[in-house]
Amino acid sequence: MIWTIGGGKGGSGKSFITANVGICLAKLGIRVVLIDADLGGANLHTFLGISPPGLSLSDFIKKRVSHLREVLIPTAVPNLQLLTGAEDLLNAVDAKSVQKQKMVRSIRSLNGDTALVDLGAGNSLSVLDFFLMSDGGILVVTPEPTSIENSYRFLKSAFYRRLKQSVSSSSVKALIDDAMDRKNEMGIQNPHDLIRAVSRIDEGDAQRMIEEVETFHPNLILNQVRSKKDIEIGFSIRSASLKYFGMHLHYLGYVVYDQEVNQSVRRRRPLVLENPRSRAAQCVMEIASKLAKSHKMAV
Amino acid sequence: MDRRMKGIKEQTYYEVLEVSRTATAKEIQRAYEHAKETFHADSLAIYSLFSEKEVKEIRETIDEAYRILMDEALRRSYDQSHFQRVDGRPPEEPSEAQEVSGEKSVSLSFTGLSFSAERELYRGKALKRVRERMGVEPQAICKETKISIRTLEWIEEEAFDKLPPLVYLKGFLKSYARSLGLDPQKVMEEYIDFMEESRKK
Repeated sequence: MIWTIGGGKGGSGKSFITANVGICLAKLGIRVVLIDADLGGANLHTFLGISPPGLSLSDFIKKRVSHLREVLIPTAVPNLQLLTGAEDLLNAVDAKSVQKQKMVRSIRSLNGDTALVDLGAGNSLSVLDFFLMSDGGILVVTPEPTSIENSYRFLKSAFYRRLKQSVSSSSVKALIDDAMDRKNEMGIQNPHDLIRAVSRIDEGDAQRMIEEVETFHPNLILNQVRSKKDIEIGFSIRSASLKYFGMHLHYLGYVVYDQEVNQSVRRRRPLVLENPRSRAAQCVMEIASKLAKSHKMAV
Repeated sequence: MDRRMKGIKEQTYYEVLEVSRTATAKEIQRAYEHAKETFHADSLAIYSLFSEKEVKEIRETIDEAYRILMDEALRRSYDQSHFQRVDGRPPEEPSEAQEVSGEKSVSLSFTGLSFSAERELYRGKALKRVRERMGVEPQAICKETKISIRTLEWIEEEAFDKLPPLVYLKGFLKSYARSLGLDPQKVMEEYIDFMEESRKK
């Protein structure tokens, strides 16, 4: 399975969660590959306490090595490997859809059960495509207006891109592009209005879009929560998404704000190894056990 | 059109509150609390997603859904007019073809609270109204929470001078809130704030 971790905002804790959830999964006996594709600053290795790696995905893309598994970096945790440099692919101007699909196939062919891809806070088309091509996209959000605003922006972009990929008519594709701008001339304010407008042009495309919505289930992790009220924001985001997009957002869990997190990052020691009894580590473990259940069900 | 892709005015009241057709009064109350919290003016969860007009419309529909579903007679009438019966029994899930928009103007004899967009504060009388709307007798609350019937009456009547010491009262308020499916902390804090303000006056 490939899980992508994206959205939100820089500093919302995506790399921290990717690294620590990955370790928990590995400790549960699942073979995990962590993939760093953060365009803004790839430093997943630092969260794992590993020095900047010599080999990266670029070596595979530039054919300096013959197989992707040769650029995997072992870690101190059994079952856990790291792949860096995936941001080079996302950043590449010529990263065409075929290349991205090829990369996804290569990741699937790796000797691992689960891949966790840290996409960073980017919102580029390549990032959106990886998010959509994965088996499960995870948004990491903090209970702050800026983080929530960025997450909805990311979600809207991913949502409309997915709808656009599902339709065949060029006029419907153009309509979806226009609908992204809330000041559009057609008065389309939300996905519901869009589908109504599309059904007037092409009933088949409208039906395909509805089916896409039905199968699009992104996941949400709320990070740095400080109160019960903060935890409930996750449920409210889920309800708001259902009302706005008509899609079911899965609230995977939350991680409490904990000074131990900062301490562990400074020491370059993953929290779940350094202080597994801390409150934040317990939350991460709970999230990992939910992902492990999904993995078992998929197997 | 798909159930999830309906506009707010086209959803059934059950969909609006995200409850099943067989939801109990307690579940509806809890769902209503959650919906009000989600679409409150200061809610972070709706920030940047909806326009003011959309939020207003959603809030009005949530209030209307709650008003109808919490009244046994109104709910029955709503169910009868919105869901086709098969073999005399209502279907588990609402029929996709049925929409509620044309039914909302139905005038029925609801005599309860006026449902303003802003939630009323949890004072004694408000708690009593919630309890009565759910059709729960005081004795049932007492049995569940171990609060004496007299104390429950004093809480509802806002007879502050007769209430037990604060340390006990806080516990009673939380238990009472839990039994109604309300947020215990919020109920306790709002009640105590109101009581202290009243005492100052």
